[in-house]
Formats: sequence, structure tokens, C-alpha cells
Amino acid sequence: MRILVTCISLLVAFSAMAQNEVSGTVTDKKGQAILGANVYLEGTYDGASTDVDGKFNFNSAEEGEQVLIVTFLSYLDFRLTADISKMKNLNIILKEDVNTLDAVVLSAGMFEAGEESRVTALKPLDIVTTASALGDFVGALQTLPGTSTNAEDGRLFVRGGSAEETQIFIDGIRVFAPFTPTANNIPTRGRFSPFLFKGISFSTGGYSAEFGQALSGVLQLNTIDEPDQEKTDISLMTVGAGVGNTQKWKKSSFSINTSYINLAPYLEAIPDRNEWINPFQSATGEMVYRYKVNDSDLLKLYGAYSYTNLDLIQDDINFEDGFRFSNENTNLYFNGSYKSFLGQKWILSTGFSFSYDNTDFQIAEDIVENNDNSAHVKLKLRKRFGNRVELNFGGEYFITDFEETFIGQQFGQFDYGFQNNISAGFAELDIFFSKKLAAKAGARLDHYELLNETVFSPRASLAYKSGEFTQFALAYGDFYQNPIPNYLKFDSNLRPENAQHYIANFQFVKPKQIFRVEAYHKTYDNLVKFDDDFPGFTTSYNNNGDGYATGVDVFWRDNANIRNLEYWISYSYLDTERNFRNFPTTARPNFATAHNFSVVTKYWIEDWNSQVGLSYTFASGRNYTDPNQPGFLNRQTKSFHNLSFNWAYLIDQQKILYFSAGNVLNTKNIFGYNYANQPDVNGVFQRQAIRPNDDQFFFVGFFWTISDDNKSNQLNNL
Amino acid sequence: MKIFQLLIISVIININLQAQTPYEKGMKQAFELWDQNKLTEASNLFERISTVEKDNWLPPFYAGYTLVLTAFEIKDEAKLKLTLDKAKSLLSQAENLSPDNAEILIAQALHNTAYINFDGQKYGMSMSSKNSSIYQKAIDLAPENPRVILAKAEWDMGSARFFGQSVEPYCKDLQRALELFQNEKKSEVPFYPDWGEKRAKQILEECKG
Repeated sequence: MRILVTCISLLVAFSAMAQNEVSGTVTDKKGQAILGANVYLEGTYDGASTDVDGKFNFNSAEEGEQVLIVTFLSYLDFRLTADISKMKNLNIILKEDVNTLDAVVLSAGMFEAGEESRVTALKPLDIVTTASALGDFVGALQTLPGTSTNAEDGRLFVRGGSAEETQIFIDGIRVFAPFTPTANNIPTRGRFSPFLFKGISFSTGGYSAEFGQALSGVLQLNTIDEPDQEKTDISLMTVGAGVGNTQKWKKSSFSINTSYINLAPYLEAIPDRNEWINPFQSATGEMVYRYKVNDSDLLKLYGAYSYTNLDLIQDDINFEDGFRFSNENTNLYFNGSYKSFLGQKWILSTGFSFSYDNTDFQIAEDIVENNDNSAHVKLKLRKRFGNRVELNFGGEYFITDFEETFIGQQFGQFDYGFQNNISAGFAELDIFFSKKLAAKAGARLDHYELLNETVFSPRASLAYKSGEFTQFALAYGDFYQNPIPNYLKFDSNLRPENAQHYIANFQFVKPKQIFRVEAYHKTYDNLVKFDDDFPGFTTSYNNNGDGYATGVDVFWRDNANIRNLEYWISYSYLDTERNFRNFPTTARPNFATAHNFSVVTKYWIEDWNSQVGLSYTFASGRNYTDPNQPGFLNRQTKSFHNLSFNWAYLIDQQKILYFSAGNVLNTKNIFGYNYANQPDVNGVFQRQAIRPNDDQFFFVGFFWTISDDNKSNQLNNL
Repeated sequence: MKIFQLLIISVIININLQAQTPYEKGMKQAFELWDQNKLTEASNLFERISTVEKDNWLPPFYAGYTLVLTAFEIKDEAKLKLTLDKAKSLLSQAENLSPDNAEILIAQALHNTAYINFDGQKYGMSMSSKNSSIYQKAIDLAPENPRVILAKAEWDMGSARFFGQSVEPYCKDLQRALELFQNEKKSEVPFYPDWGEKRAKQILEECKG
């Protein structure tokens, strides 16, 4: 009997132990119940999920001091160490994790493309399926507000800034010659093929202290960390051909892309306004090697080679037999970056780039050859303090060695150039006061060796999330940039040019819908001025230029309302005047148009296996100087219109036929006028309209992908 | 003495009851929650089990799998990404414990499909090429696993439909999956994945119809 009693009492004891109840309520800071939180005792099976009222309740056989853990998505984990007997009727308040997707974003000035961005203005496919872009990712960015359409140039003109004021970075490292040189009125294209990149962020102002040497804009391109699969891409186009291949190994991968473009056959079929001696041809190659050192550390090496040449005679009112222009360009670019997680929330990013760029120009009777050797080294450290504070700081060094030789018919040979090295340091602090309010404050210090000057640029931004879908942001920044080589090669007694940005932004972001409006004011100072028709040896230079730009950018994108249709609309208003270059007075530069408007649409037709796209671009008139009338930049051209069309037809899963046509309405666009140097017998300066080389452009391509799974295609290359 | 015997019996019974380890009890309870379509609760419980069963790939696998299933109902992108990121880390936890496991690969492909399901334009391109290589790897690892064949066939049929092609060639894969299901031996590991036969039949019906 004694045994029995013992046994029974033991059983009772067991049961009694199992009766240890743990209970309570889980809410957020505002007292709102959290449903579905996971509540449990560490190291045991004992736990429960919270119900609609945030309540939980479970029994445990554990005794004594225990650790209670509560976890829920987008909140920080909660831990409570206490005696289990005291874990009753707990009131647990979870702290929000301020680094989640629905948190406020420091977004003023910024457009992002790619999967990893929080607010995606452009999707990966958009970069290449925008009708007016003709496969050039820079072309797709020109459909965003804040840019001015300069269809004869092809580069990015941001908020009243010239093309040189926007810099391009690959994996955080500077690209020195991103565009291939072309002749007058032939738009250039970015050297880089879009599909080696997983994300693009385009900032039209107020960017982080990490970026210097850019007065108006920053374009960041990030290469893919790890390709999905091995494949071979073949493309055949009316203007050339390309081959690409990707190989994967356990820890590393290698991608290569090569292409050859020759416009001769196309120009034979559809002649343009020029007399071509050697039609444009280019051979380019790019490769990326990626090596995963371990789970978190990654090494990337990127190399690009390109060779282009062209030789033509363009009509010119001042040259009876036309104006001869040729160039031959060789560009070699190498970029390496390494990212490492050092532990204790320290992240190291470092990299370097080297660029060799050689161009031989023939300009009428003169020959100019230049060599630009540039390098960039950068090291950045990032450290998180808790959940709410992040510090970024680092240093960088730019080396530029520019040499030019001029061989003139009349003047003989001259050699000149410059060496300008710039060292810089930057630091920036991001603070999340809550999920709704965040601020960024930073500064950079740049030292220009050639100019012997040190400049300090503070930056700051603030963002407030006012509702579930809406947020406001403000940004301020001071920006400096080296004068362009065109001036520095003749005069090194210049100072860095300066701009200040003030930005206010409002955005409304719902799934598949974005509305954004941004107002800005910029002031320019220390802009380089010179006193000749063209910068030269005998020209005198100074930094007395200045200017301003004020404007509003509006963006609307909607993929939600109409099935299979995506579209976006951009409008930019720009009021700007400058006194720079050889301007006799303050005026609106001819590249800065007051109104820019564009609509891009894409429609997927299931029955035809086709995506068709239309894009329309409008820009108000461009300024030009009419010497028959008093004043400078005294007249305006008619406005610019372009309607482009593209059609991608999927023959099967791996073969695509692509057609695109630029300016389908055949609008006769005029970019400005070229006036005769001398008046005619009647005392009138005759003029010649500056027009595109060809009003319309047609493109047909066939793209074929070969991969193990028989599924991939080059839709994202188009 | 009788009482003593009784006690022994009851102890034995007790041991029998006890023989259902906390692990089995927990897993069973989680599957019950799953059957009742309480996916979040099921996932939470699988996750709790995974914090104790540190060497067993099944709890984190099921925790991730059920979480992926919840993602198909999510309408908010921020929440979708949070949910799927967590699911992904649970699946990687399982993968670390059991590398080159075709069952886990299928769940990872389903994770990518949840993104495509949310916004095909945004995620379709990269996720579908990821999935293609995942399925290829799964079929190389386990060419006779009916769940792999079923999942791959379903995926291929989805792509074929998207490109307006016939799904016919994949019906014989389904047929083969079904035969393999019928001959599949129950694993000795408790709670080893054995789903799919019903689904295979259901889709095969569509094929015929």
C-alpha cells in the first residue's frame, strides 16, 4: 500500500507540475492586439500562438527560472527571464522592427529599379522593354521625371544640369567613361549591357555623402551576385550580332557578353543625312567573375572592353564640302569589389576601378588624340548600433591622368594635359526614430590636389511616413565637382564647381501604384566661364559663373487597374538660368527644356504571345541664338515629339522576335539652328536646322537562349 | 498483489503513452492544425519544435513550408517579403541539416512561386529562371521521387500555358508520378513527406479533360 500511495502521489505530483500555466496578452505599442505571434519557453516544446485578441495560454511541466520568447514578423523578438510561476497574465508589448519594408524610406531624389528596392519605379524588364529606349538602359531612365530630353545626345541631363554633372557607379565604384563618343547629333548609348545588373538606382538630387564629384545626379548600378543558371545567349540584329555565356561552379560563376555592331548594312538600306566614309561600328565585351568566399562574403570582378569607330562628313553651313569628323575610341574598364561581414554588425565594402580611354579624333583638318587613365579606390565601413542607428563612413581616392596631343594644319603639334588626384572622406549617420520617422545626416571632405583646395559638403535628409501609403521627405545637400577635362587640360587654376540642392518630396505607394511629386530648388556657384568660342590655349578661364534651377517632377505608375496593361507618366517642369561657359549673360541653357512629358505603356497580348509597347515623349522648345536679332539664346525651337513602338513576339519559350520603330509619326524634330559665321550679301545670317541624323529608326532582332531547362529567354535583354 | 499488478499494468500503459515522445506529440498536433487550415499556428508550432530538435530537418522544413503557403494569401508586399524571407531562412536551416534534399528544393521553388503569384511582372523573370534550375537540380538528385516529378510537371504546365503551348507532354510525367506514388514505400522516418498522390490524380484529371 505504501508503494501505491507513493506512486499515486508521484502521479499527482506529475499532474500538478503539468499545471504550470503561462498566459498573457501580446500587443503593439499602441495597445493593438497582435494575432499569430509565437510564444514559447526557450528550449521546450511548450508554447502557443496568440489569438485574435492577442491572448495566449499554455501549460508547461517546466519549473523554476525560464526564458519566455515572443516572436512576430516585423517586430523585434521579446525575451523575458523569470520564474515560471510568475508568467501569468503577462502584458507583453512588442517593439517594432524599424528596418522592415513598410517602414519609412529616406527617398527624396531617388528612383529605384530592381527587385530588392522598397519602392520600385522601374522593374527589371522595363529597362529593356521601353519602346523609346531601343535597348539602352539610359534611354529608359530618360522616361523618368527630372530628366530633360536631348535626343541628339543620349546622355542624362538632370534638373537643369549638363550631362557631365551626372556620375555613374558600378557596385559603388566610379565609371569614368560610361558613354561611347559619337559625332554631332548621333545619340550615344551606355557602354554597359543592362542584364548584368540586378538593380539600378537613379538619384536626381540630394544623394548620400558617399557620393561626390557629381553636381546633379548619381546613377548606381549593382551587378548580379549569383546568376541563376548556365546558359548561352545568341542575338542576331539588323545592326549586328551578340553572344553571351554564363558558367556556374559551386562557389563561383562567370558571365561573358560580346557584341559587334555595324551600321553599314542598315545605312545602305535606309540612308540618313550624313555622308559616311566609315559607318559606325563597335566591338564590345564584358565579363563578370563572382566568387563566394563564404556564406556572406563576396568578391566580384568586372571587366569591359570596347572599341568603336566612325568617320563621316556632315552638312555644315560654314563648310561648303561638309564637315569631316571621325573618331576611334578604345576603352578598357576594370572594376573589383569585395564585401565582407566582419561580425558584431560591422560590414566592410571595398573596391577599386581602373579605366583606360583612348580617342583619336579628326575634326575637319585637325587631329586630336587623347588618353585618359583614371582610377578609383574606395573603402567603406558600416556598423549598426541596435536596431535604430546605422553609421557609414569611409574614404576614397581618385586618380586622373589626362594627356592630349593636338596636330593642327596651321598651328603644328601641341602636347598638354593634367593630373588631378582627389582624396575624400565621408561619414553618415542614419537614425530611425520610429517606423515613421527617419533622418540621415552626413558630410564629406574632398581635397583636390591639382586645384589645391579642400571643400566640405554637408548632406541631410528627413522622411516622415504620414499614413499607410503616404510619406513626406526633405533633403538638403552641398555638392562639389571637378571642372571637366575640357577646361582643366588648358587651365589648372580653377576651383571645383558647386551646387546646393533643396528637395521636398511626397509619395503615395500602394501595391502596383506609385504617385510621386517632388519640388526642388538648386543653386549653382563657381561654374567655369571662358571668353572664347571654344575652350583653347589662349582662352582665359575663371570660376565666376553661377545659376539656379527650380522645378517640380511628377511621376505616376499604375499596373493595377487594367489587366495586362502597365503604364507610367512623367512630367517635369524646370525653370533654370545659368551664366556659365561662354555665356555673355544669364540665360536658360539650350539643353534645359521647361516642360518634359512622357508616357510609357506596355500591353501583354496573351493570344499573340506578344508584348507591345508604345512610348511618347514631349519636350518644349529649346533655346538658340539668332544673330539676326539682339540678345543671347533669344529664340526657341518648336517643341519635340516622339512616338515609339515596340513589339516582342515569343516564338517559343527560348526564342524571341523583336521589332521596334522610333518616331513612327515621322515628326520633323529640330534641336536648334546652326548659323553662318558671316552674313550674306543682304546682311542676314543664314541658318541650317540641327536635325536628327535620321528621323525614324527601325530595328529587328532575333534572340535565342540555350539553357538546360529550355525555359529562359532574353526578354530581359531587350 | 492484485493492486500491485494493476499498478504495473498502469505503469506500462503510462509508458506506452509516454512512448509518444514530446516530439511526436508536437508534430502530430502541428499536422492537426495544418489539417484545420490553421497555417500560422501550425508554422509557429513547427518552428517551436525546430528550436528544440536542432538536428532534425523536418521541423524547420515544415515550418518554412507552411509559412510559404500562408504567403499565397498575402496582399501586402511588405508583409509578403517578411513572411517569405522568414520562410526562406527556415528552409535554409533545414537544408543545412539535410543538404541536397529534393523535398526541400521543392519547397524552395514554391517559395519563389509565391513571389511570381504576387507580381509576375516584377518577380516573374528572375524567379522563374531560379525555379527552372531548382527543379533541374531536384530531378537530378531524386529522379524517382514522385513529388519532384509532380511539382516539376505542374511548373512546366504553368509555363506552357503562359506561352500558349500544349500541356500534353507533361501528362505522361503525371502518369509516371502517380505510378511512383502508388508504389512508394512509407518512410521509416516518422513525418517524412508523403503528400502528393491526391494532387497528382486531380491534375491528371484536368489533363484528360
